Amino acid sequence: MGNFFPRWTNWLPLKIAIALVFIAVGVSLGVTYYFTPKYTRVGYMPTQPVPFSHKIHVEQLGLDCRFCHSFGERSSHSNIPNNQTCANCHGEGKGQIKLASPKLQSVRDAAKEGGDPIHWVKVHKAPDYVYFNHSAHLNRGISCVSCHGRVDQMDVVYQHESQSMGWCLDCHREPEKNLRPLTEITNLGYKPSDLNREAFYKDLLAKGATADEIASVIKPDAKAAGLPELLKLAQEKYGDQVTQSEVGPQLKKHWQVAPPDNCTACHR
Amino acid sequence: MKRIWQHPEEPKTGRRYWRSVNELERREDFMKSLGKEFPNGDTLTDEERENSRRTFLKIMGASAGLMGLASCRRPVTQLVPFTSSVEWAVPGKPLFYATAMPRAGGATPMVVTSHDGRPTHLSGNPVHPAVTGGLDSFAQSSILDMYDPDRSREPLRFGKPATWGGLKSALAKARHRFGENGGEGLALLVGGEVSPTLTRIRGELAKRYPKAKFFQYETLSGNTQSSVNEALFGPGSRQVVRLAKAKCILSLDCDFLGLDPVSDDSTAEFSQNRNAEKPSEAEKMNRLYAIENRYTLTGGMADHRKPLAASALPVAAALLAAKLDPAQAGSVAALIANAPADLKVWVETAAEDLLAHKGSAVVLAGSRTSAAVQALAAACNNALGAYGPVIEIFKAEEGAKMGSLKELHAAISAGQVRVLLSFTQADPVFDAPKGWNLDALLSEKKVTLVHHGLRTCATARAASWHIPAAHYLESWGDVRTKDGTYSVVQPMIQPLYDGASELEVCLSLMGQDSFGPKEAVVVDPAAPPAPALEDPAYVAVRTTFGQIAGGLDEQKWNYTLRDGFLKDSTSKATGASLNAGAIAGLVAEAKPAAVLTAQAPELVLVPSSSVWDGRHINNGWLQEAPDPVTKLTWDNAAIIGSKTFRELGLKNGQRVRITTEAGALEIPAIEAPGHVSNSVTIQLGYGQVKVGNVGSKVGFNAYPLRKEADEWVITGVKLEVVKGNDHLFAITQDQNTMEGRAVYREAVKGDKDNFAQVTGIDSHIPPSVSFYKGQFEKKSEMYPEGFDYDTKHQWGMTIDLGKCSGCTACLIACQSENNIPIVGKDQVQKGRVMHWIRMDRYFATAEVDDVDRDPSAEDLENAEMVTQPIACQQCESAPCETVCPVNATVHTDDGLNAMAYNRCIGTRYCANNCPYTARRFNWFDYNKRPLDELYYGPLSTPEKTGVRESHKLQKNPNVTIRMRGVIEKCTYCVQRLEAAKIGQKQVQRDSKDFRIKTDSVKVACQQACSAGAIEFGDLGNKDSAINKTKASLRSYEVLKYINTRPRTSYLARIRNINPKMPGADKIAAWSSKQF
Repeated sequence: MGNFFPRWTNWLPLKIAIALVFIAVGVSLGVTYYFTPKYTRVGYMPTQPVPFSHKIHVEQLGLDCRFCHSFGERSSHSNIPNNQTCANCHGEGKGQIKLASPKLQSVRDAAKEGGDPIHWVKVHKAPDYVYFNHSAHLNRGISCVSCHGRVDQMDVVYQHESQSMGWCLDCHREPEKNLRPLTEITNLGYKPSDLNREAFYKDLLAKGATADEIASVIKPDAKAAGLPELLKLAQEKYGDQVTQSEVGPQLKKHWQVAPPDNCTACHR
Repeated sequence: MKRIWQHPEEPKTGRRYWRSVNELERREDFMKSLGKEFPNGDTLTDEERENSRRTFLKIMGASAGLMGLASCRRPVTQLVPFTSSVEWAVPGKPLFYATAMPRAGGATPMVVTSHDGRPTHLSGNPVHPAVTGGLDSFAQSSILDMYDPDRSREPLRFGKPATWGGLKSALAKARHRFGENGGEGLALLVGGEVSPTLTRIRGELAKRYPKAKFFQYETLSGNTQSSVNEALFGPGSRQVVRLAKAKCILSLDCDFLGLDPVSDDSTAEFSQNRNAEKPSEAEKMNRLYAIENRYTLTGGMADHRKPLAASALPVAAALLAAKLDPAQAGSVAALIANAPADLKVWVETAAEDLLAHKGSAVVLAGSRTSAAVQALAAACNNALGAYGPVIEIFKAEEGAKMGSLKELHAAISAGQVRVLLSFTQADPVFDAPKGWNLDALLSEKKVTLVHHGLRTCATARAASWHIPAAHYLESWGDVRTKDGTYSVVQPMIQPLYDGASELEVCLSLMGQDSFGPKEAVVVDPAAPPAPALEDPAYVAVRTTFGQIAGGLDEQKWNYTLRDGFLKDSTSKATGASLNAGAIAGLVAEAKPAAVLTAQAPELVLVPSSSVWDGRHINNGWLQEAPDPVTKLTWDNAAIIGSKTFRELGLKNGQRVRITTEAGALEIPAIEAPGHVSNSVTIQLGYGQVKVGNVGSKVGFNAYPLRKEADEWVITGVKLEVVKGNDHLFAITQDQNTMEGRAVYREAVKGDKDNFAQVTGIDSHIPPSVSFYKGQFEKKSEMYPEGFDYDTKHQWGMTIDLGKCSGCTACLIACQSENNIPIVGKDQVQKGRVMHWIRMDRYFATAEVDDVDRDPSAEDLENAEMVTQPIACQQCESAPCETVCPVNATVHTDDGLNAMAYNRCIGTRYCANNCPYTARRFNWFDYNKRPLDELYYGPLSTPEKTGVRESHKLQKNPNVTIRMRGVIEKCTYCVQRLEAAKIGQKQVQRDSKDFRIKTDSVKVACQQACSAGAIEFGDLGNKDSAINKTKASLRSYEVLKYINTRPRTSYLARIRNINPKMPGADKIAAWSSKQF
């Protein structure tokens, strides 16, 4: 019986094992980094053809989101404004603001007869087989900030959330974490603690919810005769400050928010 | 204990429903193919195998290369908003415009769905007074004609590309020349569309060029009907039948539910009176008798049908007239002398019934039947008192005097025509009688033919000049419906290829040039802005509108554009009375019934339900929509009745040679139950060449068999069987069969009122309790995860088989709405057709004592025909869902069986497990690739790969384009449901009012159905129409006993039979023996 294998093969199994460990570590590191939404999405901050600053327009000047993105509450798309919208303030013979600024050259070019529209770079991109609808969210207490972050503080817009399917479903399964009163939808700096508890419950009662129903959200078996009792109940449960854990479940129940988690909600 | 349901054995006796003679006779190849979900799919053909071996490595190499490229960073995408706002446009929301499709005889009002300026879908106009909101398949698919990549794009000079400039200067020259000589030698050949503006402009042309001649030509809307109407009711008269007012109808080869409508919405008007809820109420319905040589949709819907040779139709009409109108006894005596006894009994029984319904009975003669038949029908109607209550006589608008094609032919032969402008959508060089040699005559007489049309058809290629037409969705115009209601045709999009409308060409003859590509005008910035030039066609239409509406009132104009019709513009019936004296003369022309044999049958030429007279030859949707009766796609055939077929020893696809006086044709034959013996029917319009990717070399041209333009029934025909060279048909009828289970249910008076529920095995299945705690039933304590009817919508559908005629309008609507691709003839043969709605057509024979006995010729000739559309039944307990390994098909909480295309990996388990065979598989990138490039993969040439740019424009942006390797199926138009629900969310805001307005959402098939057979809605809303139809005694679920709990149920059909009719006891003799 001769030796079939040369001597150096004695170390082969160990070498293979070590190599496999390295490969496995490498692959898992690679996958963790490259295949996650973190790499592909979050933080994506392309340079726009016009250095438009949301920070200036929203935070400093106080423009509402809907001033430019005017159809978000009516349509699936929250539109990029027409050049006309820009020109209303920056155009000749209109608002006359910063008429000579070289940064606004493409706005002025687009405003000319037959001018080329501005080619904005898309930041938030849903795949073609995803049918997202802005109006379904904005009309039902989900704010812009939940998906887009504090755009009002961004000089250059970047992607703040991963917007992956899992991220969508997290909210569809627990919408109460993000619901807020309809008046606060475009108030990106809103905090639940800004709410007046009395006004909040008064409003719910005025919209037709009974005190008992409201009470049952605060505590499963609680009953309440009226507003004072409700306030007392809430005070006991949540303390002085209004929190999301107080607002969310109330809105979810009384607006009957039941986000679909079926495939057809987004894929058709 | 687990209960296993075996499908019951097929009983040996009893009534049978079958789809093809193969099935009825249990031929071996048919029996073998039973139960195969993918007939040719599980194995590759030799060609495919060869192909895959050769190209496997190449493809692998290419894929590896592409993978490298595709794994780069995601591409930068851009958002390009408008520079300034567009009126009404909200990004992401479609706009709806009312317009109308111009058609010979009367326009079709419709609503256009437009996404970002692209029309994507057509539906009926529900507010129009003349229609109910359905839309037939020709109108539905006309949108595809606009996006047809093979559409005529540029002017042609002798068939070669030319410039618009050249064309315009030629037109200018002609204008100058005819301006000087008063139009000597100028002739216009126009189509049958009724447009007040065109009528007015033609009148002005006749004034400007007094010597010009006008001719009208529509291949199939022949002259017989109009000349009979003129003879009987005075010049310019036409009839509109108010079927809603008719309780008893007899059709003499009048396919008014299909290709020969007698009013703007015949199907809807007829269906209004088909509402009996149970067999004992059958008499509430109207009763329809039909006499025809082949099966039509009308024959299928008829309560009594008599197969009769088309050449013997005058005899039937004469028998009828003799019975109804004794005054005609003299004129018809010769015709009825030798009438067969069974026909006499049949007709007289029907006539008695008609007489019993005097004032609400009507006799309809087909528009292509002989003058004698139409005159006799008029006599019958007069005797029945139909004129006035049921039939209204209208008068056409005064316009230029129109000659016929025959007169044009004579004028050309006499050398009177120098320039001929052809506007008709018919194709005279292709479809005029062969003996006229139109093509040769034109060149011999040196006639300059200027052809205007959408297609580069034979006439376009023969013409000296061809002008590409603008589609009606691209141009201004106006039309009238059959009953005279005025509509404005508005453009939805700029002409895709700079085409010119007929109106624009006519206006250019008047010196107002406006069509063709617009040149960029160099504007001097210093000059004052020039006033915008008004489009002459727009001005012309508004001028006509002003005349019709009594003044150009802007508000009225805007309302007309919005609603799609001018209020109160419907014509007033003239009240003209019948000139009875003229009848005898017309009847005298009738030929006596010929003696027919299998070798010397009659030949009946009929329009095609796919290509009409040939004009839709390049429309893929229509080509692939199966013929409602033969289920033939991508072809026409010699349709021959079973008895003759067997006598000749033919087999399907075998060719026959048909010789008439005018010519001969070799055409494959197809066996047709219900077709009369010794008669051959051929659908016209096929057999064209060089008409585009879809239509070229499809079918066989039967036009050359005619001697005269109005000759539709030809006797003295020789028929020979050709051996060898058999043709392969693409027929969908044997595919996806239901293996003879109690799928279709019907009854007549005398049957149990709850017949639908107690048919076959449904009568004795015990209540099923499911093992699974899944989503079945209503949510309750027993089913905690059941469907929630209180806080969710629950969708459901019913299809009324008593109203469905099987016209396939729903199928096309579905295709248009849901981006369903066509797959081509070769793929249809392999059973890979993609339609989400399968229009099943069954024939039924009266009770047979033994299924293994071959049916007799009489059984086959008198077979009844029923149709049933089957799409995904949205089972609550869906068998497809349990077998999907990747959860790509799952249930939603509003009761839909959802498909997540992006998740599907194409195992096809679901399709194999679907008891309704309602799932379709994308064997190729049908939506991405031209049909002839399917097999080439990434190796196809770059210019050929990929969907044509223009087809992309038609796609519905709210529905995913499915890729290769994905299963797809009906989703109840989930995009519409979601849009409705979200629309309600915009209203609901901070309230609990989540439910959409009652019946405010319509699915595409429901919207298209003129008959109103499809009802759809929210089962959770107790006021919705769907809950009423679901509660009907006629409602039944297909294959209920396997406990799939479908959300779609069917309303069984009730026939209103006349018990006195011989053989009435055999009609729809539903029996408990049915399995």
